[in-house]
Amino acid sequence: MNDFIPAFDWTRVVIDPWAAQFESSFWIVLMGFLATAACGLIGNYLILRRMALVGDAISHSVLPGLAVAFLFSGSLQIGAMFAGAIVAGVLTTLLIELIHTKSRVKTDAAIGITFCSLFAIGVILINVFAGKIHLDTECVLYGEISYVPLESSVKWLGGAIELGPRPVVTMALVFLAVIALIVVFYKELLVCSFDPTLAASLGFSPKVFHYGLMVVLSVVVVSAFESVGAILVIAMLILPGATAQLLSPRLPVVMVLSVLAAALSSLLGYHLGVWMRCSIAGAMVVAAAALFLLVWIFSPEQGLLQRWRRARRVDDGGESRIEENNGYSS
Amino acid sequence: MGVLAVMLWSCSQSSEPGTEGKAGRLKVVATTTMVGDMVRAVAGDRVELQTLMGPGVDPHLYKPTADDVTHLRNADVIFYSGLMLEGRMADLFERMGEGGKRVFAVTDAISDGEKLKPAELAEHWDPHVWFDPVVWSQCIAVVVEALTDADAGGGEIFKQNGEAVKGSYLAAHEWALKRVAELPKQKRVLVTSHDAFNYFGRAYGFEVVAVQGISTVSEAGLADIAKMVDFIKQREVKAIFVESSVSRAAIERISKDSGAKIGGELFSDAMGAEGELFDVGEGEQVDVGTYEGMLKRNVFLVVEALK
Repeated sequence: MNDFIPAFDWTRVVIDPWAAQFESSFWIVLMGFLATAACGLIGNYLILRRMALVGDAISHSVLPGLAVAFLFSGSLQIGAMFAGAIVAGVLTTLLIELIHTKSRVKTDAAIGITFCSLFAIGVILINVFAGKIHLDTECVLYGEISYVPLESSVKWLGGAIELGPRPVVTMALVFLAVIALIVVFYKELLVCSFDPTLAASLGFSPKVFHYGLMVVLSVVVVSAFESVGAILVIAMLILPGATAQLLSPRLPVVMVLSVLAAALSSLLGYHLGVWMRCSIAGAMVVAAAALFLLVWIFSPEQGLLQRWRRARRVDDGGESRIEENNGYSS
Repeated sequence: MGVLAVMLWSCSQSSEPGTEGKAGRLKVVATTTMVGDMVRAVAGDRVELQTLMGPGVDPHLYKPTADDVTHLRNADVIFYSGLMLEGRMADLFERMGEGGKRVFAVTDAISDGEKLKPAELAEHWDPHVWFDPVVWSQCIAVVVEALTDADAGGGEIFKQNGEAVKGSYLAAHEWALKRVAELPKQKRVLVTSHDAFNYFGRAYGFEVVAVQGISTVSEAGLADIAKMVDFIKQREVKAIFVESSVSRAAIERISKDSGAKIGGELFSDAMGAEGELFDVGEGEQVDVGTYEGMLKRNVFLVVEALK
């Protein structure tokens, strides 16, 4: 057992990353936070619309995009791959939206139909046209969060101001764009997500907002794939939002909480990764899952512990039941 | 953002002297075991060497740990294999090189005429060059030159070691040629799970047939397997081979269907554990954690199984 789990050395795991390796740690944690928070914020809407797994779907359905990009450009350069992936990502989300709005098929099935079909097309394209080439998402598209501090810095004003590694700057812009879009269209997105009929009667088309949200989503997801890899993105579309939604029923509070959950997962996950000497993205996802577990057990209103206590009180007598029910539904 | 950036900028300035290394030794990072072994043979104890991908690790699927990143960051010199073997990591290395870091692809030394291009590819080289020792030994020059540039005081040692290593690689090649000569030409057919042995085939006159393509990610399809079984029966191939860093399922299936036995596990994208000995006949024991040992073991297994 000791061979597999390195000893918890306080200096190595907690002090050193913020002393000797400060710069690496800072950029990795910041990058983790920006990617997680951007995904987490959009993820909230996805969870409400039962589309949480759309990130996973996109991670598979970018394959035909990569294959087609290779056939056209004849190279595996990241520029061509990224363009192909973005187009495939947008196509995926639009197809999902189209299938479930124009048929009786529910969203989860629509997601399944879309990404399986696109992935299969991708596999066939590669087999037929590029059988011998090393073309897979892992190798040509997905980035790696650990490499962020090794990237060259973006400089402003002829090098006077050093902003930080390129992927961090890109992801910061994506994160700010997501926040800006949510702030500007807050009311519209809220109504569309909870009550599309009301939205229509208020005079704006829920369809436009759904499609818009999906396009933004696929751009965010694919750019996050490119800089931090798939596992972090897929998980972070779901976990911070799910954790936050256990803590509060109010959307603005949930939004803030999911950003907080993103920050905590990124920081704790980084230290877990340093401790276990393992993949940092993987460790960040485990930290986010642990956070979800804690909240699920201890959440003041919906937590397992609280539910269990409430159930016991119901057995004891009827009076507190009404009180509790009131508290729960408000 | 701006404030943080300025804060960090000043921090990065002050942390710079710390990267020189404790005992003043050059810090060197190599990606694969083959590159790592070459650097160790050239530099010996004069540098502090860290090899990122351990024995049995598939370079296409390697995931870095926090420690690996620290090593890369602090490294004075980085050597990687190149020709897309390291996937997107190579893009990063190229950018680090442009940023002023000493980063070298050892395969840069190989002229285009000696590299292989699978027919289907217009732009990309087959990266598994280490299976042709004559070609691979050209890469030593890159290591010697880069190390000398970073540590001029060791220049003479690196040069001498470099020549010794080259001699050792070529001796292993002679040894391999002699062993392979025991096989009649028509028996020189090498069936493996993925396309890592094209250079091996060229160096030793084998016809190489792989079930999978270059990538180790996609699994072999049913049609691939059926085609392979027919081929093995028709050519009366006695043995087929699995690889250390690739799943063995497809090859086992083919072995069962075609009646060819599994001749053993060949090293492909990674070498063995350091210090692990293997008997290659005539009382000779080799360390499979070294390049020469890895090569001899592969040749020994292939020749013995196909005889």
